[in-house]
Amino acid sequence: MVRSLQQEGRSVEMEVSVRSEKQQSRGRTAIWQSRLALLVMINLAQLWILSAAVDAALAHEYKQLAPLVVASGICWLIALSIILWWKPVVR
Amino acid sequence: MSFSSSDNQTVANILSEERESSDESNVRVASASYQAEFPYERDGEAQVTRREFCNFLFLTSSALFVGAGGFAAKAAYDSQQKTEFAAARIDGAKGLAPGSSLNFSYPAEEDTAILIRSSDGSYSAFGQKCTHLSCPVHYAKAHGRLECPCHEGGFDAKTGEVLYGPPPRPLDKITIEVRNGEIFATGREVRGNGS
Repeated sequence: MVRSLQQEGRSVEMEVSVRSEKQQSRGRTAIWQSRLALLVMINLAQLWILSAAVDAALAHEYKQLAPLVVASGICWLIALSIILWWKPVVR
Repeated sequence: MSFSSSDNQTVANILSEERESSDESNVRVASASYQAEFPYERDGEAQVTRREFCNFLFLTSSALFVGAGGFAAKAAYDSQQKTEFAAARIDGAKGLAPGSSLNFSYPAEEDTAILIRSSDGSYSAFGQKCTHLSCPVHYAKAHGRLECPCHEGGFDAKTGEVLYGPPPRPLDKITIEVRNGEIFATGREVRGNGS
């Protein structure tokens, strides 16, 4: 009886451990997915900025070019920070 | 809380099964059922992981930034360049009746232009390509303006400024001079709004 209870307790601990591992894995996947989604959005924004820059240049609106390039640079910096720092914590 | 080696082994087995069926570690296993229904052989594509795709997106971001910067720099540099034009006589301009127009090319053969003599006898000349999508504009005498038939853009016949429609900027201005009764084109200026 005592042995049976011990075994049951151990299996519960084991299940908790596996579940915790699974949750961590799920958390890591969520972070990867969110990084990917953010990068896709940044790419779309930069694509829009590039088309706006082409439009401005063709219309000879040169004053608009500098802010557009700066905006694209900020997007790039955010993408860089996502790639370099926004990583899942390894435990 | 202490585990025996068999327990640890069981945990490792469960986790390895998880990893095998994860699309992150083994795409082939994870997508086997789909491969059976939609068979295709594209190894490189099947092996792209989230990490690689993220790296690819970052590279794309870098390329878009460099592209925008490069394009802006090139456009700004080109706007600073001054081109020297040789004067060229416009054939047939001398006998142009007031309220009519004449097509010519300046400075190169492919740079089409239009010379307008308004009712008061004054001359003005502009590039003939609409600044929207390069359709040729024509002089609408009744309205006293240059009209683009493609997308219904309109320009002022005296200044070349946009009156209505989709064109984003005025027509190229061609400077003209009258020398001994002959009309000469002496320069061509690409203009933006407000310049």
